[in-house]
Parts: sequence; C-alpha cells; structure tokens
Amino acid sequence: MSDRGHIPESRQREKPRADLQWIGKSMKRVEDPRLLVGKGIYADDINVPEMAHAAVLRSPHAHARIVSIDASKAEALPGVLCVMTGADAAEVCDPLPTWASPPVLQAVIAHDRVRHVGEAVVAVAAEDRYIAEDACDLIEVEYEPLPPVVDPEEALTSTGDAVLHPERGDTNIGLERTLTFGPVEEDFAAADLVIERRFRWPRSGGQPLETVGAVASFDEGAGRFTIQCNTSMYNYCGWMIASTLRVAPHKLNIVPTLAGGSFGSKMFVHKVPVMAAVLARAVGRPVKFMEDRIDNTTSCDNHASDRVYYAKLALKQDGTLLSLKTRIIDDYGAYLQFGVGQHGNALSQCVGPYRINSVEVDLAAVLTNKCQQGAYRGFGSEVANFVIERLVDAAADELGVDRIALRRQNFIQPDQFPYLIPTGNMYDSGNYQAVLEETLKLADVEGWRAKQAEGRKEGRYIGIGVASCQERSVFSATEFWMWNLEPGVEWTSSPDGVSVKIDPTGKAFVTLHSPFWGNSPETVAAQVLAEQLTIDPSDIEITYSDTDQGLNSTGPGGSRFTVMVTGAIVGAAGKIREKLLRIAAHLMEADVRDLTLEDGAVQVKGVPDMKMSIAELADKAHYYRLSMPEDLDLTSGLDATYVYDHPVTTLPDPDERHMGIFYPIMGHSCHIPVVEVDIETGQVHFLHYAAVHDCGTMVNPMTLEGHIRGGTVNGIGTALFEEFSYDEAGQLTTALWTDYLIPTIKESPADIVVGHVETPSPFTEYGVKGGGEGGRMGGPPAIAAAIEDALKPLGVTIDSLPLPPSKLRALIREAQARSA
Amino acid sequence: MYPFTYHRPSSLDDAKARLAASEDGRLLAGGMSLLPTMRFRLASCADLVDLNGIEALAGIERGDGHVRVGAMTRHAAVAGSAEVREAIPALAALAGSIGDVQVRNRGTIGGSICFADPAADYPAGLLGLDATINTDRRAIGADDFFTGLYETALEEGEIAVSVEFAIPERAGWAKFGNQASRFAVVAVMVSQAAGGAVRLAVTGARTHVFRVTEMEQALAANFSEEALDGIPVSSEGLNEDLHADRDYRAHLIGVMARRAVRDALAR
Ligand SMILES: Cc1cc2nc3c(=O)[nH]c(=O)nc-3n(C[C@H](O)[C@H](O)[C@H](O)COP(=O)(O)OP(=O)(O)OC[C@H]3O[C@@H](n4cnc5c(N)ncnc54)[C@H](O)[C@@H]3O)c2cc1C
Repeated sequence: MSDRGHIPESRQREKPRADLQWIGKSMKRVEDPRLLVGKGIYADDINVPEMAHAAVLRSPHAHARIVSIDASKAEALPGVLCVMTGADAAEVCDPLPTWASPPVLQAVIAHDRVRHVGEAVVAVAAEDRYIAEDACDLIEVEYEPLPPVVDPEEALTSTGDAVLHPERGDTNIGLERTLTFGPVEEDFAAADLVIERRFRWPRSGGQPLETVGAVASFDEGAGRFTIQCNTSMYNYCGWMIASTLRVAPHKLNIVPTLAGGSFGSKMFVHKVPVMAAVLARAVGRPVKFMEDRIDNTTSCDNHASDRVYYAKLALKQDGTLLSLKTRIIDDYGAYLQFGVGQHGNALSQCVGPYRINSVEVDLAAVLTNKCQQGAYRGFGSEVANFVIERLVDAAADELGVDRIALRRQNFIQPDQFPYLIPTGNMYDSGNYQAVLEETLKLADVEGWRAKQAEGRKEGRYIGIGVASCQERSVFSATEFWMWNLEPGVEWTSSPDGVSVKIDPTGKAFVTLHSPFWGNSPETVAAQVLAEQLTIDPSDIEITYSDTDQGLNSTGPGGSRFTVMVTGAIVGAAGKIREKLLRIAAHLMEADVRDLTLEDGAVQVKGVPDMKMSIAELADKAHYYRLSMPEDLDLTSGLDATYVYDHPVTTLPDPDERHMGIFYPIMGHSCHIPVVEVDIETGQVHFLHYAAVHDCGTMVNPMTLEGHIRGGTVNGIGTALFEEFSYDEAGQLTTALWTDYLIPTIKESPADIVVGHVETPSPFTEYGVKGGGEGGRMGGPPAIAAAIEDALKPLGVTIDSLPLPPSKLRALIREAQARSA
Repeated sequence: MYPFTYHRPSSLDDAKARLAASEDGRLLAGGMSLLPTMRFRLASCADLVDLNGIEALAGIERGDGHVRVGAMTRHAAVAGSAEVREAIPALAALAGSIGDVQVRNRGTIGGSICFADPAADYPAGLLGLDATINTDRRAIGADDFFTGLYETALEEGEIAVSVEFAIPERAGWAKFGNQASRFAVVAVMVSQAAGGAVRLAVTGARTHVFRVTEMEQALAANFSEEALDGIPVSSEGLNEDLHADRDYRAHLIGVMARRAVRDALAR
C-alpha cells in the first residue's frame, strides 16, 4: 500500500456523540426569515450615490480577429461616461487570475481576438443601463472570422488559424498527460474480461436565479478600490483581483453580498468585479455591472465538464474488478480558469466505492471556441461517478449477473477504512453495504420488479436503476494544481476561519469569512456554537466579513463548508470556553477541573448553587478587570478567532506514484429511480425515487435533505434535459432558459424518498461530512441505468447524456429498426 | 425595452380611439408574449394600450349550441370554467395545458390567437373546434384567421373581442409540450360535430396551425384510433428546431392524433 501514500493521525477533537443537543436537529434555517421578507441585500440591491451603470457589447463570433472598433457614435451619445475597448483595458489592467500553469491568458475585455460567442469586446459605462445598452448598439466592430473549433475531438488536431492561443504553440491542446497509478498493465493482462465503452458527458451548468454582479468604486485619494460582489474565495485569493487591477492588495476591499444561488458558479468570480472596477476608475464614479441572463450564460463561470471518455474496465470472470483505464478529452472552452482542477477532483473517487487495484488516466484538456469551464456542483467528479457506474452496469450485463450483486461483491468493506485508493486519495470511512440495503428497502425494488413484469405484458416500459456513488467532500488546494506541467500556484492550505465574540450581556456574535451562497452557513454556525457553549441558537448573531477584516478562508465549494465551519467554530469556542472556565474558577474560588459548562452556565460539579451564567461571566470579563487574576494574556472581553485547516491532506508524491490525500471526507449515496419510458414519444416519467445518503454525522437533517432533493432534481436536469449546446459555427443555441431546459416540478418525481445512514468521519469535528453537492452526484448514472433497464426489451444502451425525448426517441427508433 | 406611453382605457371605444390616434400603437393583453419581446428590444411601440381595464372583454358565456369566450379571458379561467368543462371539456384541458400557473393567470385567449405563435395551443383549439373570432368590426372563421407565422387576418387596429366555439359531439386534446415552456412541440385538437363532420387541427408543426384532411375523412367514416393506421404523415415543410427535427415532429403528429382521438372517446 505504500505506493498509495501514508495516512496522517487524526486531529479530531470532538468525537461523534449520541447526546448532542443542537447538532443533528432539523432546526429551521437562521437565514430564512430575513430573506423571505425581502430584506436580503443582493448585488443588484446595492445602490450608492453617483453610481453609473455598465453594459457590455459581446462577440457575435465564435472565433475572429478584431480588425477595428468604431465607438465614436457611442461616445457621442448623451449620458455615456466611458467606452472601453480591450486595448484600453489592457493599458490599465493585467490578465485575469488563473490556476493553469503554463497559463492561458484571459483578458477582462478581449483584444485583437475573440474566442467565443459572448466574450466581452467593448464595455460602456453610462448614467443608466438603458443608455449603456443603447451605446453598445451604436458601436461598430469589424471582425475577420477565424475557423471555429467546436468539436473536442477535432480540437485535438487543430493547427494554424484554428488555434486559439498561438502563443502557447500550434495546438489547441491546453494540457495533455497520462497518469498511472498501480500495476495497470499487469492487471489488464490478468483480466478475463475488459469492458470498453465510449461515453459523452454534456456541458451543462449551475443556473442561479441571480446572475453575477458587482458595484465597484475607486477612491482616488486613498488609491483604493471597494468592490461589492456576489463572489466567494475573496478571503482566500481575493488579492489576485488586486494584481489584475494593478494595485497593491491592501488597496482593494472586496465586500461580499448575498449570493442568490451559485451551485459553484460563483466560486471565484473574476470578470465581473474587474470589469466594474476598471470602469469605476476610468469614470471616477462607482459603477454597477450586473450581468443579464445572456451575459451570464454566454460568458461567465457557469459552464462545466464537457467530456468524451474512452473507458476500459478490466475484471475477472468471477466478477472481481481489477483496473480502470480512461482516455478523457475534456472540452474546456477558450480558457483554463481553474487549470484542470476538475480532473484533480475526478481522481478523488474515480474508482467509486469499489476495490479496484490500479488506474490510468490519459487526459487531453482541449481549448475550443466556447465559454470557459468554471465550477459546478460535482466539479468533475460527478462525471467519474457516471463513468464507473455505467461500466459496472455494463460489466454485470456482460457477465450475466445482477447489477446489484456485482456492486456488493466489489464494495470496499467497512473494516477496510481508512482506505487509500490507487490515486492516493483516502476514503476516510464508509458503509456502502448499509446504504445500499437501506435504499433497497425504501425503493421496494422487489415490488417494482413485479410491476415491471406486469407492465411489459401491457406494452409498458418500466425500468429500475441503481447507482452507488461516492460523494467526496472537503477539497484540499492540491487538486487545483496536481495536473499542472510546470510549477505555478502550488498551495497546500485550504482553511476556513471564524471570529466569535460574546458581548458583555452574554450574546454571541459570529463572523464568517466566506459568503452566503444560497446554502445554510449561518444555521450550521449557530447550531455548532450553541452545542459548544450550551447556549440557545437564538442568542447568536451571524455576519460576514469583507477582505479588510477577513481571515484566511477558502469558502464554500466542494461540499466543504459545513465541515470547515464546524471545525472553525469548535476551535474558537474552545478558546472562549477555556477563558470562561478560568474566570469562573477565579471568581468562585474553585479548581478549573471541578467546573463544567452546561445550560449556558459554568457549574461547580456536584454543587448546584455554585454556578455563574455566561452572561454574568461575560460582564465580568468585559468590565471587571480588577477582579481578574494578574495575567497579561487575560485581556478584557470574551472573543476568539480560529482558522481551521483542512482536517487531513498530504502532498502528491514527487514521482507521481500517487497524488496524496486531497479529498478524503468521503460521503456515499445510493439512488434508485423507477422510470417509465413512453416509447412513442421518448418521454421519461418518474414513478418512484429513493435516495439514501451517508454524510457522516448530520448537523441538520432538514437542510441536508434539501441538498439531496434539490441535487437530485439537478441531476435529473443533467440526465434528461440540460445542455449548453453549441452549433457548428460555435453559436450557443441554448443561451436562454426557453431552450436550456431546466426541470421543474412537473419533470420531477412526485416525491423523492430520502433516507440516511450516518458513518461519522474519524477526522472531522463531530464526524461531519459534506453533502452540499447532494443528489447531482448520484442521479445521472442511476437515471441512465433505469432508462436502459426500461428499454431492455428493445436493446437500447445509454452512454451519452442528456436524454431529452427527441434523443431518446431516436435511440428507440434505431433499436426498433435493428430488430425489425 | 425602449420608452413608450402607457394607456389604460376602460372601454372598447376608448381603446379604439387611442389606438387610432397613435402612429405606432400596440395592444397589451396578458403581456406574456408581448412583454418579453419588448424586453429583448425585438418589439417596440410609441403607445401601449392596455386592455386589462375593459371588463366587458373578459368572461365566458354558454349560448345555444356554442360557448363564447371574451378576448381578455385568462387561460386559468377557461381551464376552471364549469360551463367549458361541461360543454367542451377538451377546450378546458387545452387551456389547462398552457405554460405554468403564472402564465395561465395572466395570458389571455385574445392575446394568444392574435400573437399566433406557431407553437401556441389555442390556434389548434379554434381550428379543431370550428370557432369564430368576433372583432370590433366583423366575424372571422378560424379557417381564415391564421394566415402565417405570427400572422393573422386582423387588419391594422382591429381588436379581437371574443371567440365563439360550436359545441361538438365530442372532442379530444393531446399535446406533447416542450419541457421548459410547455409550448406545443406538437399538439392536436380533434372534434366531431353532431352531423358527423370531423376536424383535426395540428399546432407546433408548421408556420401556423393546419388541418389534416386525410385523417379527418378517415375519422368521419370511423371515429377510432385504428382509423388513423397507415395514414402517412410527411415530414416535408415541418418545423425543425433544437427540440425536434422534422421526422420526429411528423412521427409525433401521428402519435398525438391517435391520442387526441383516444381522449375524445374517453370523455
Ligand atoms: C413561460 C411561458 C410559457 C408559455 N407556454 C405556452 C403554452 O404552453 N401554450 C401556449 O399556447 N402559450 C404559451 N405561452 C404563451 C401564453 O399563452 C400567452 O398568454 C399568449 O401567447 C399571449 O397572450 P397574452 O394575453 O399574454 O398577450 P400579450 O402578450 O399581451 O399580447 C400578444 C399579442 O397579441 C396582441 N393582442 C392582444 N390582445 C389582443 C386583442 N384583443 N386584439 C388584437 N390584438 C391583441 C398584442 O398586441 C400582442 O401583439 C407561454 C408564455 C410564457 C411566457
């Protein structure tokens, strides 16, 4: 096992316990009341005096040279304050931040060349948005079209004018390399059977109701920017925006607004805040830039994995899985914002919940004339789930064994954890058998098999799918750069911090250093702090810091925030508890070892009368210095900060025999949908849906269930409808929600029956695991399996998504033609 | 949007006068089709004359052998109307299949037919149920009303006032809707009048709604699903878009026609 690395000692302080008071309660969300009465301040709610408004003229071409820009009419329009071209912008700012090394240079406004439809060509600031848009209509741009590169496999061989970034060489391959983990060739040689399939995973994206927006202002006196924006990661790497703007990092304050949903797409927003900021500096007034829907769908960080897989699974005749080989071509679009971090991510759980001895991944990240990829629920590892699950289904069919039985046979067993997979990542804990059994029970698979058989006699096509999927959580920064060919950003920290203060009256204030993203960070913080200090959540107030006040905090994403906020609160609360006990010991003349904190008071064990409430102690801590012991470190007040580091991560092996531990807090889920396919139309209906997730110790089952149900519908979208589809000319044909089909209540199962198994993590505080990416991790392979099962009499195989009625009907027609 | 002057008359005469007085006037009904096109700056006008203040334009009335629906009647009102459900249940089903709750609570029958979206449902309802459109100046039969892509027989400044549906012996509705908007990819209204005459109208498949005479004849002879067996549907000239190519649409016409007949027989 040494080839797979080593497992560090656990740093867990709070063990999972049965007697918790707040953790594990389905408490209503702390965030909701103010949001539901409309008091939440989102980016577009921000209006500051003298504020101007921006609009952006975008490229109608997928690939073209910008020959000339005539903006004279726009500049002459009354109310226009500034018209900025890419050349103008390049004079005042540097390329946007990127994790790719060597980098793929990306400018906030394109100059010389446009590389996708929707790329910014000219930005306008004006007295209002109407004028700004009118001005855009008056700008004349002459383009010289270049060959559009749209097909990822064709992009592998592009040369000449079809190359997007000639300065990187005469190729559209952004990065290509093969990583081999374990004895792949030996395992394939020993195999009785090799399953080979080509899969196609479609480009789709998170579709937050609120687009990306920023209000930026520049204080010429102080030489300082303030940008209010619905981004994340500002307290981790917000200074990169300052570099782009060519100011020192302390000359930029990023102030978070509420984010009206993200699903990953607002992980590290860069184009919009930089755009607002360069315009604000140019016009000497604050500028608001709020994307409209087309700005967002054509040009933000909303597009996700777009992959072709040539996959091979080697196994023994007895069903033992041996080795996995994949050739992946991933269509990254025009730039590499997060490098190929999505493939670091995918390595975290590419073998699924199975014992597979070796892995080879041969990746070509190609650059095409599409919007760049960003982050989206799953960040690339949901695709790995689809691939391994489809392969296991295919293997079972090929062997003629039950799909469920083959899974059971190959599961990593509960006594094998913590378990290092060939890529080096660790699965901290799990009980896959238990999750499967629980799902089978909730799904009533036996009952549905009987109905399926009945239905077939009546010409009905009912199918049952099973997917048992990993739900990795808590990424470490190494996933962003482990694939890089040249040293670049090579960070190994990805912490999250909190500040906690108890005021003189005993009320608690928590400052989070990462934003509200539509999830429940305040609820988590309130529940964990209430648990730690034995106080009531209603006595806790939660706010968010800007970068001026911020502590090193990576923020939500990769299902990490619940684990990380819990860890940070435990750290900060520990310091406060220590101080409370110390003061109480002094004031009650007791030994610290005889004291406990319970029901919001410090109590001398066994002496009911001897106690002081947190409010009394807070009052003393703030105002009665002369009653305290002489100690320089015992400062007046009751506050603490704590930056909680990633609970368990290790470095990639220098020889790349493994990638270290980078995504170890391993949740698991089993999804069993029951579908009926209308073979005349190709439409899919859900008859039943059961999903069981194991996210370790649950902090709040109600909000977790929200992630599971919402994520499942998200997964239905990916499986059946959603696609950012580009035509041959590189036009995005699904830029609007009339064509980009998002499932609604009508396409969703009437109920998604949710169950839980709790296998606590031995590495995180209280054993919590992340669950934010929820049902989207398991839905697509399960739905594909169910559809395939329904159409078994026709012999339809599913290896590409999405499956809207037209496409499914075409597959059915082909199958019918084959058998006729 | 581009700027415009907003008018809200409370009578039909006032509306006509304001429309006539404008160089570039436009009527506003539920706004579900017009406002999005104005927001995208694909449409604009100098004066927007809102019909929502004219009470007389909304309402449902059952008369002798027909049902009259006012132009400003919302889709939800038609879907929920006891008169319509009793007299022409397929029409109530059609109205209930439009869009989502918000769209059904705002959108109107007048707006739908005057906009004449190729994928709108009401055009099939009107043509399949042999309806007549009453305007402020004349009555137009459904066969003559829908003339092309977003085109109708309405003249400049003509206002649709109501739609009169003959009550059929039986009628059926079948729709294959787009997942996002519910607009028809293909939808069929079929009806048989007391005298035996059959009308079968298809929407979503061409520039505008059309009847399939071969199917009508077969059904007049034998109103059953089987009667449609073997009647070919050509894909020539059918609409093609992201969600359905021609062949798929042609196939769906056959499927939806059979399902509409099944629906008619089940009601
Ligand atoms: C999300 C969404 C989903 C939809 N789904 C469907 C669907 O599934 N099926 C379907 O059929 N439709 C659908 N629609 C369209 C909907 O039914 C609209 O209500 C309808 O197309 C227009 O009606 P309106 O009352 O909103 O008209 P408006 O948008 O107000 O007007 C439309 C046009 O008609 C003109 N007009 C309006 N009233 C009159 C009148 N009395 N005389 C003369 N001209 C008039 C207007 O000037 C304008 O040009 C959908 C719309 C949306 C937004």
